[in-house]
Amino acid sequence: MSRFFARSDSESEESSSDDEITDKAPGATFKQSLLLSDDEEDTKRVVRSAKDKRFEELTNLIKTIRNAMKIRDMSKCLEEFEQLCRAFLKSKNIVDKEGIPPFYIRLLADLEDYLNQLWEDKEGKKKMNKNNAKALSTLRQKIRKYNRDFESEIAAYKENPQESADEEEEEKEPEDSGSSSDSEGEVSSKSFLKKKPEAPSEATDRSQTAKESEDKSSSSDEDDDDDDDDGDWSPSDSDSRSETSDKEEENALKRKRLVTFLKVKRSQDTEKPGVRKEERKKKPKQKEQIEEEAEEEGGWEKVNRGVPLVKEKPKMFAKGTEINTAVVVKKLNEILQARGKKGTDRAAQIELFHALAAIAAENNLGQGILVKIKFNIIASLYDYNPNLAAFMKPDMWKKCLDCIDELLDILFEHNNIFIGENIAEDSENLAVSDQPFRVRGCILTLVERMDEEFTKIMQNTDPHSQEYVDNLKDEGRVCGIVDRLLTYMENKGSTEEICRVYLRRIMHTYYKFDYKAHRRSLGLQGETKSEQDQEENKEENKEENKEENKEESEGEDSAVIMDRLCKFIYAKDRTDRIRTCAILCHIYHHALHSRWYQARDLMLMSHLQDNIQHADPPVQILYNRTMVQLGICAFRQGMIKDAHNALLDIQSSGRAKELLGQGLLMRNMQERNAEQEKIEKRRQVPFHMHINLELLECVYLVSAMLLEIPYMAAHEFDARRRMISKQFHHQLRVGERQPLLGPPESMREHVVAASKAMKMGDWRTCHSFIINEKMNSKVWDLFPEIQRVREMLVRKIQEESLRTYLFTYSSVYDSISMATLSEMFELEMPTVHSIISKMIINEELMASLDQPTQTVMMHRTEPTSLQNMALKLAEKLGNLVENNERVSDLKQGIYGGYFNRDQKGGYQQKQSYQRGMLNFTEVVSCFMSMR
Amino acid sequence: MASRKESSSVSSTAMASTGGTLDSPVKQIQIEGLVVLKIIKHYQEEGQGSEVVQGVLLGLVVDDRLEITNCFPFPQHTEDDADFDEVQYQMEMMRSLRHVNIDHLHVGWYQSTYYGSFVSRALLDSQFSYQHAIEESVVLIYDPIKTAQGSLSLKAYRLTPKLMEICKEKDFTPEGLKKANIGFEQMFEEVPIVIKNSHLINVLMWELEDKSTVADKHELLNLSSSNHLEKSLQLLMDRVDDMSQDIVKYNTYSRNLSKQQQQKHQYLQRRQQENAQRQSRGEPPLPEEDISKLFKPPQPPPRMDTLLIAGQINNYCQNVKEFTSQNLGKLFMAETEGAREMQTHLNDAHRSSLHFHFLFFFL
Repeated sequence: MSRFFARSDSESEESSSDDEITDKAPGATFKQSLLLSDDEEDTKRVVRSAKDKRFEELTNLIKTIRNAMKIRDMSKCLEEFEQLCRAFLKSKNIVDKEGIPPFYIRLLADLEDYLNQLWEDKEGKKKMNKNNAKALSTLRQKIRKYNRDFESEIAAYKENPQESADEEEEEKEPEDSGSSSDSEGEVSSKSFLKKKPEAPSEATDRSQTAKESEDKSSSSDEDDDDDDDDGDWSPSDSDSRSETSDKEEENALKRKRLVTFLKVKRSQDTEKPGVRKEERKKKPKQKEQIEEEAEEEGGWEKVNRGVPLVKEKPKMFAKGTEINTAVVVKKLNEILQARGKKGTDRAAQIELFHALAAIAAENNLGQGILVKIKFNIIASLYDYNPNLAAFMKPDMWKKCLDCIDELLDILFEHNNIFIGENIAEDSENLAVSDQPFRVRGCILTLVERMDEEFTKIMQNTDPHSQEYVDNLKDEGRVCGIVDRLLTYMENKGSTEEICRVYLRRIMHTYYKFDYKAHRRSLGLQGETKSEQDQEENKEENKEENKEENKEESEGEDSAVIMDRLCKFIYAKDRTDRIRTCAILCHIYHHALHSRWYQARDLMLMSHLQDNIQHADPPVQILYNRTMVQLGICAFRQGMIKDAHNALLDIQSSGRAKELLGQGLLMRNMQERNAEQEKIEKRRQVPFHMHINLELLECVYLVSAMLLEIPYMAAHEFDARRRMISKQFHHQLRVGERQPLLGPPESMREHVVAASKAMKMGDWRTCHSFIINEKMNSKVWDLFPEIQRVREMLVRKIQEESLRTYLFTYSSVYDSISMATLSEMFELEMPTVHSIISKMIINEELMASLDQPTQTVMMHRTEPTSLQNMALKLAEKLGNLVENNERVSDLKQGIYGGYFNRDQKGGYQQKQSYQRGMLNFTEVVSCFMSMR
Repeated sequence: MASRKESSSVSSTAMASTGGTLDSPVKQIQIEGLVVLKIIKHYQEEGQGSEVVQGVLLGLVVDDRLEITNCFPFPQHTEDDADFDEVQYQMEMMRSLRHVNIDHLHVGWYQSTYYGSFVSRALLDSQFSYQHAIEESVVLIYDPIKTAQGSLSLKAYRLTPKLMEICKEKDFTPEGLKKANIGFEQMFEEVPIVIKNSHLINVLMWELEDKSTVADKHELLNLSSSNHLEKSLQLLMDRVDDMSQDIVKYNTYSRNLSKQQQQKHQYLQRRQQENAQRQSRGEPPLPEEDISKLFKPPQPPPRMDTLLIAGQINNYCQNVKEFTSQNLGKLFMAETEGAREMQTHLNDAHRSSLHFHFLFFFL
């Protein structure tokens, strides 16, 4: 064979393999391919025995078939043949490596001949029993079909049964001749050389090509169901058949010889492959060098050497290909084409990409191609899960992170690589040249996708498991990658891209409490202390579900970073969504760090409240989170009213969990079908970003208590009193409904109990209910500035209790000394004074201050409870009378005879009501007379 | 206790003189002291708060006087013995009492009350069935709260013959009630009660009276009244609310009715016109159609409840009136003693009364 041949060979193989991949039979399943790949590994380990086993199985089957042929037992023959096919399929891996065993081809050829013979023998057929006849026809059809795949081999065999069998044998040997000289190899190569001229070259070539393509097809996980490929082979099919008829007699003779030959063959076969394999593995490079040298020499050896390479890396390049950029790109495209197809083995694809990358690296094809391949690797990693809801497996995830890291490494090292989505495929410049590389692909998208995958992984991990913590540790890496990308983009990216990457960065920053900055602001304490703090903080961290991985490397305060990034986005961003998200995150971050005024101003300036309902759900969730954080921040700052207002919307719906994206509420399927549920599940915020719902509720309830209780006391008898907080009232009612009131257990019960105490103006009890061990551990400890918050709370409780006390009990006092009040509520005199003054100014308290004696003089203008009751009754009676009059009006507004008759009765009725009320007048007259 | 009973018997005899002419077979009720004590004891043991206790009265009729000589309580119901047979129990009880030679004639029942709220559908129904079966039966209403304040409150009621008729017909529509010409005052009639004790007991009581200290009687002079008053007002308010609702219901009903009447009228007129036209053309008149089918009158709301509520309101008012007048008396007494601090209370009472006055003026 000439060099020319070798070339064309690889070409044709290329194209044929293209076809193979694109026309992939959809039947090939993912699982099967997985199994196969497993098998492959196995066989590598115990090549010898596996091969032995398979081949032995085959030969045994062949033996039975031949026996059956001899006794013309067609049904048996059919049965065995089917088994043989199956066995052959099973041993495919070995076959891929070793080539089709010649004895197998031999059998196929013989069997076909034999069947044809039988078929034509009409008389014999008539003699056959029904079963046999039937089996014969099916078998004949089957083998015809089956043999199409092996046509060339069979043809070659038929051409020269003896030789081709030998050649098959020898074909494998020469590959070793280059590297080592094992005596057998030498012999066989010699024999090969001798035989060569005799053998018709075309036939061998044909067989070669066929074999390679066969390898191709089998390695790409194709079942032998190759009906699709019929078209390719049909012409030669007819050829071989014509040949067959000629050689029938010859074959019949040779059959016996072959059987004996087989035995010898087998023993030879079993010994070789192991040795060969090892050698091959040792020296892939060497081989290539040799190959290149051999190119000069020309001749058939080189082609033969190409075979093992193909066998080793089934999908990579045939030997003799010069590995250059174009070829690699071509190969890459080839692999890519299979992407997304139904039967594609995604795992294998990833492997292929890796292999390709390795080859590219080996051949120093330059960074351009490497970058391109990396892009594709990452993309296929993302593709690995066909289902959008499913999340990456840990190993895949690790691989993905590694890949992105490597890619970034490359990008950083080589400044002359341009990447971009909009670089057209044709204008790519991957080859090593003076021009900078141009690669199509978007690293930003990949990183964004990676980030999403990370979120998905976190969503799908049980948040209370060690696994979650392990996964969370990757957050650092993710942040690192985002950071690196950020620096990269700052140099190279467009503003939009920078905005996008900034947003990613912001998304990873905004919910983390910056303990370092916090400590700094508190003033650095002793080293040991701060360390202790850190530990404490870390614990809190865990509880608060904040991030443990602080960016230690980052010297800047997160506030500064946030500020810088957000401001850039405000200035440069053109898509509304990124800006909205950035603003919300910024507010959240401010709120988290107790910068209440900044947060509030930003919220008000953004006007987000007006149009947030038009945003998409994830942004709305972010908005809700921000509002909640804002409320909690306001609470910490002592702005009870603001806190209440901020939290009201979220809390009053009773769906806080859902609104914050921290879990789905149990609802019946009517409201939400499975599809919707999936979508909602995807929106969930990962656990480490959760806002503690109990904290949220507690903050809300406590602020509601501080507002509502004094209000209730002030408007006790107001008929048109409205509720400030429905939820709080609901809790109170629940508390009242309890038949047996034990000491409070849950947070809610604590708040309810505290409210009751506050109603009586008993601030000490209230305080002890709100701030105690249980509540500390449940709620208050979650704040970063516990002490300050507690102080604020106590203060608020004292003040509001004082107000409540004054509202409730002002009617029993003529005057009360402020000193007493200040003592009772442990407030300073000026505070008491200011509170009372405020109440007087607001006309909440009918009293005046007597300056010299420092007392509050009550004016006693408020009605007593009995009087209030009477007032209420009077109002109701007024209503009643009004209604009654309406009835009588209707009757007096007479129409028709019916009502005329009625009138008297109606009037009487009304009179009777009045008489009932006259009793009151009597009471009243009694009163009057007394005065 | 003895003194209280004494006083109550006095008051009830006083009442008896007011309601002299009653056209029922029972003109007077004479109760054994034993019965009173038993009722009180029953409530003391089993009634709590707003819970109501009930029992059976036994006795006999002498001329126009019903003598109640004994009673026994209904057992308290619990969830577990839902299949408890009350009638069986009563029969059993009466048989046993007969064995020990006690009057075993069923002459009515008694019931405790909470701040005078007893005028209800349930009471009406059961009293109706009693009176239907045993003509002279009465219901004794015992008010434990008033009793606790120092004066025994025990009242006997019967349904008026008018109400009996209505109940018999089960006609509670506005028209039915109108036809019967019944107001809430004509629903129940109170029968005067006399508590009668044997001479021996009277002697014992005199003795006890002598022995009892002055402090025992001071309960009667308790001035803290606002709680009771408030409660009464509260209940009164609830009833008034109910009443309002009923009136609104009635109002819509009558409006619907009148609307329909109008439609009916129009329809009839049109029909008449058409007929007249046809006649002038010499055609036969249209066949008569069933108008009531075309216009189904709206369901009239039952008015019995309204009546009952009115009765209840009346009852409350009387209670409040009685209570306030008593309290005023007490207050005057206290004032004469020179108790300055009573002023405030009086002010309260005065103020609330002013509101009432204003209201009634409005009416």
